[in-house]
Amino acid sequence: MRRFELALPSTVQECVAALSDGGDVKVVAGGTDLLPQMKNGLVKPGKVVDLSGISELQKLEIDGDGALHIGAAVSARTAELSDSVHNGFLGVAEGAGVIGSYQVRNLATVVGNVCNAAPSADVSPPLVAMDAVVVIAGPDGQRLLPISDFFQGVRRTALQPGEFVVEIVVPAAGANSGGTYLRHTPRRELDIAVVGVGTQLTVQDGTCTKARIALGAVAPVIVRATEAEAAIEGQEVTPELLDKAAALAVGSAKPISDQRGSAEYRLHLTRVLTRRTLQTAFERATGRSSSRNGAH
Amino acid sequence: MATVMKTSRDVRGIGLRIPRVDSPEKVSGKTQYVGDLQLPGMLQARLLRSPHAHARIKSIDVSKAKALPGVRAILTAADIPELEPGAKTRGHAMLAIDRAVFAGQPIAAIAADELAIADEAMDLIEVEYEVLPAAVDPIKSMRPDAPRVADVGTEADTSEALAHSGIAPTESEAAENAPNVAQKSNLGRGDVVAAFAEADYVLEKTYHVPMVHQGYIEAHASVADYNRATGQVTVWATTQGSFNTRSEIADILHIPEASIKVIPLECGGGFGAKIRALTEPLTVLLSKATGRPVKYIMTRREELEAGMPAPSVTIKLKTGVKKDGTPLALEAETVIEAGAYSGAVLTMSGVFLASVYQWQNFQVTGYEVLTHKPSIAAYRAPMAPQTAFVIDSHMDQIATHLGLDPATYKLQHLQKGGDLMAHGQPWQVNGARECLEALMEHPVWKGRDEWKASGGKNGAGLRGTGLAVGGWVPGIQPTSASIRLNPDGTLTVLTGAVDIAGTNQGLALIAASAYGVDIERVKIVTGDTDTAPLTGISAGSKTTYTVGAAVIEAAEDARRQTLEIAAGELEAAVSDLDIVGDSVVVEGVPDKSITLAAIGKKGNTFQSRVPPVLGTSALGFSVQAPAFAAQLARIEVDPDTGQITLTDFVCSQDVGKMLNPLGAEGQIQGGAVQSLGFALTEGLMYSDDGRLMNPSLLDYRKLTAADVPNIECIIVEVPAPAGPFGARGVGEPPIIPAPAAVANALQDATGVRLTVLPLTPERVALGIVANGGNGHK
Amino acid sequence: MPKMILETTINGEATELLVQPYATLLEALRETAGLTGAKEGCGTGDCGACTVHVDGKPVASCLMLAMQVRGRKVRTVEGLANEDGSLHPVQSAFVKHGVPQCGFCIPGMIMSASALLEANSAPSEEEIRLGIAGNLCRCTGYTKMVAAISEAATAGKEG
Repeated sequence: MRRFELALPSTVQECVAALSDGGDVKVVAGGTDLLPQMKNGLVKPGKVVDLSGISELQKLEIDGDGALHIGAAVSARTAELSDSVHNGFLGVAEGAGVIGSYQVRNLATVVGNVCNAAPSADVSPPLVAMDAVVVIAGPDGQRLLPISDFFQGVRRTALQPGEFVVEIVVPAAGANSGGTYLRHTPRRELDIAVVGVGTQLTVQDGTCTKARIALGAVAPVIVRATEAEAAIEGQEVTPELLDKAAALAVGSAKPISDQRGSAEYRLHLTRVLTRRTLQTAFERATGRSSSRNGAH
Repeated sequence: MATVMKTSRDVRGIGLRIPRVDSPEKVSGKTQYVGDLQLPGMLQARLLRSPHAHARIKSIDVSKAKALPGVRAILTAADIPELEPGAKTRGHAMLAIDRAVFAGQPIAAIAADELAIADEAMDLIEVEYEVLPAAVDPIKSMRPDAPRVADVGTEADTSEALAHSGIAPTESEAAENAPNVAQKSNLGRGDVVAAFAEADYVLEKTYHVPMVHQGYIEAHASVADYNRATGQVTVWATTQGSFNTRSEIADILHIPEASIKVIPLECGGGFGAKIRALTEPLTVLLSKATGRPVKYIMTRREELEAGMPAPSVTIKLKTGVKKDGTPLALEAETVIEAGAYSGAVLTMSGVFLASVYQWQNFQVTGYEVLTHKPSIAAYRAPMAPQTAFVIDSHMDQIATHLGLDPATYKLQHLQKGGDLMAHGQPWQVNGARECLEALMEHPVWKGRDEWKASGGKNGAGLRGTGLAVGGWVPGIQPTSASIRLNPDGTLTVLTGAVDIAGTNQGLALIAASAYGVDIERVKIVTGDTDTAPLTGISAGSKTTYTVGAAVIEAAEDARRQTLEIAAGELEAAVSDLDIVGDSVVVEGVPDKSITLAAIGKKGNTFQSRVPPVLGTSALGFSVQAPAFAAQLARIEVDPDTGQITLTDFVCSQDVGKMLNPLGAEGQIQGGAVQSLGFALTEGLMYSDDGRLMNPSLLDYRKLTAADVPNIECIIVEVPAPAGPFGARGVGEPPIIPAPAAVANALQDATGVRLTVLPLTPERVALGIVANGGNGHK
Repeated sequence: MPKMILETTINGEATELLVQPYATLLEALRETAGLTGAKEGCGTGDCGACTVHVDGKPVASCLMLAMQVRGRKVRTVEGLANEDGSLHPVQSAFVKHGVPQCGFCIPGMIMSASALLEANSAPSEEEIRLGIAGNLCRCTGYTKMVAAISEAATAGKEG
């Protein structure tokens, strides 16, 4: 790792100021993506700004509308264990709960996982499936961006120089809704998704009123399986319908072949994981199950 | 001469579950490794490495880097006259001279005040490369028109082969029309053509095992402190053999061995990769150039890109058997990919392939091929896991095809003592059959039909069971040891053996027993190259076998001297004396005795005429003691994702004589999980242009505690005639059978037979799809 | 570039360390504080050899900047033993079961195991295996570690 200066702001304003003097500056929260990248020489910032001393970024709470606010410094482990996240945002807890290992999750942040914008990020699919909103602070104040607009490419986001994400807001899913995140990895821990799917379903009297299926690691950004969603919305949910949706989801995936898996296998997994998440989301939406989906 | 055990006295310690003496220090974080060393004025080193697998180095400009404050020295090939073109080993090719032959080959060495400055200096070095076509695929690399890897005239390096097996290839030639074939070997017996003609069932398959990293958690590291005034250099190294390291440094740098002191610190895992010198010559040169101590620790990325992995192995195997399974003919072509420098244990691959099961007619041709990748080194039983994967998978398929039980079939045709190995030597007596029989009696094997039948029901995945057998022929190396009696009546044993596998505990047990005292009185000390008697490398499963034998002789020598001194003091005959507790006693005469402490003191007291007790020994060996293991895997497979879950895993191993149960079990369990790594997740993956695609531990996957069950150990004891108390080497056999055992279980569970390692979920899932399988939803 | 003053608590003692702004917690512990128990196995959070406790939680110290523990509490393997020098139950159990071989993974492993037992005093075998899944060991195959941690859990309750 090359040498750099370190700024230790204690408020969001101080952080914006620290980011504003131009040059190559990076923010660090958990450091679990940034430090490996610096050690590999992928990024060589002259200055790093530490978010861990800004107490308002530790906020993890539900607001008056039932929306979940995840501050930029909230660790994945905190989100994984939080009752607020479990009760109503279970897919997000599951995504946070499979990142790395305990010693990584105690450092990694939910927001950092999103901002790193790896296609295989584990919290991103469930956040996309729940229509999360990204809150960005910068020299001109704050702005909001739907999370789907936030991802622009592999490790590229909509952040402009001098900006950073202060929190992510996840609207309440409403009654009769259930969601989950499931990924496939060769090892049970310390691993990264070959494919990851975040699914959220709202089901009223056996009919799906809202479907969101977000696919990770099968395209440069998280993609919604819109054809599959359209096939389910407004329909009575049956096993055959879910099979059909899972098959349709494959069409939305445009994976590459790399050291983690071939495109062929990723397309295969897209169908398998979509089908499994649809099953779990359906069971949770209809109260048949509130348990974990088999991931730990 | 090999020591044949005559008697074993009433032993106090052998077979007891005694923790290693250094455990309290290890659990407290007090053990010192090379990276923990801090010396005054010490500099930190980094190496700039070639990003290209094959490139001409047109120019190197270090001027900007040298100008960075805090940079103390930068060395390139131009600064090192000892570097010769046509390097005969990887170690000799410390820095590329005019051509880089693998991505990751060092180009420049930097010493700076701190690592961050060294990192910045690396950015400032300007290298102009002319990228050349690279030989990356081993099979393609055997073609006459493949890009040439070695410099013309380089000898094939057979030193590793000799160290591990005592067997060098019968031919060693780089054929003119296949520039990258560095070694060729041929083993044959009988008439395979005629035998194939008689066969009822012929099976031909090609198998492949990728290059694999040994996976030690402590990266290669060394600290060198060169004294410009005296020309002496001290090197602290993580090494499996300090004497070997010293010799290699001397050879590579053209300096006398006597000017080098190698101090082996605790070695954080080696498994064969820390036998050859790697970082040491450059740290010595950097220390010489700066006049200060220099520390160099490889990063994990460097280890994966530029370590010394196990070779990739591709074997085309064809067998012919009668319809009752009787083996008739075996024909194999083995291609071992050695990377950029020759050094594969070539002939052993043929020996294992054709000797573990008995074939009357066989023809095995082996090739070592060079590619533009990091060159290889040993990895715990080199060639044995790969060849066992091949031959045992093959035998299993034959049995299944013929409707025979695989275990019974293998047992029927497994070698036994006296059978000829493929190179003409007879198998020494060994416990292969006993190991297999132990597994056949195990409830997991006996319950295999029920387990399989329960698969696919009630949400369970597909279920199967498999087993495999493999053996290792350990190395031998001459060695020496000394033992002294201290003035307090305790014994100090001095060897140069680096204690990696807990062998010191075993040596202490051996010394105690051979001398005749309780183990609490014995301390083992590992000396450095200045102080220790010449000792071989800690590798090849031979430390206990060879150093143990040396310790026995030294202990018996010390006992003899002790009793002679006591005889003089007590005015008794030596034959009437024995050592009991802390004293030498006269049998039958209770009040006539002298403490060991008294004898020890007399040997160190002013004006005393009694000499100190110093037992010594120096031994060469000729007989090896094969050691076998068998492993049993019970699995459950998710038919849609292809994920294999191991629910039970049993390892039975012939240890000859169990000296140190905690140590032996630890070796077996550790080796078994390494074997499972070969089977399930590990492999270095290269792009078409020879770059490593998985240079981190995220993508080079080693198994975690959550990926494996308890490894159950069954100890088999078939004594080795020449081993200390009959003991055999324990370290290597456990890494051998798992890939075949799991592949066999996979076929049992799913019908899919995979012949490429690792058995990834992708390969399993797509294999099931190809078989027309339809998984669960 | 000037160094920074890190005010933190290490193994129960308030400490002031002079560190580079770009120093990781692992580097600061090993090179400035002289606590070399925590090891670097990979530097990227993929092996667990650098595991220490920050505010009671196991973290990969190679991924934290040293200054990020300002005002926080750090515990390393050197600070696990009791004040009278007797070993922590996990440490004793590791010795008794013959766990350490090369020893390099052991400090990190013990820190993960001790954190696990503080959060879960009666873990099942599965929970133990998941609790140390972030710590790679190449020598032992994990079996004895799991048995030792299980025994330490029981000993902790009785002791």
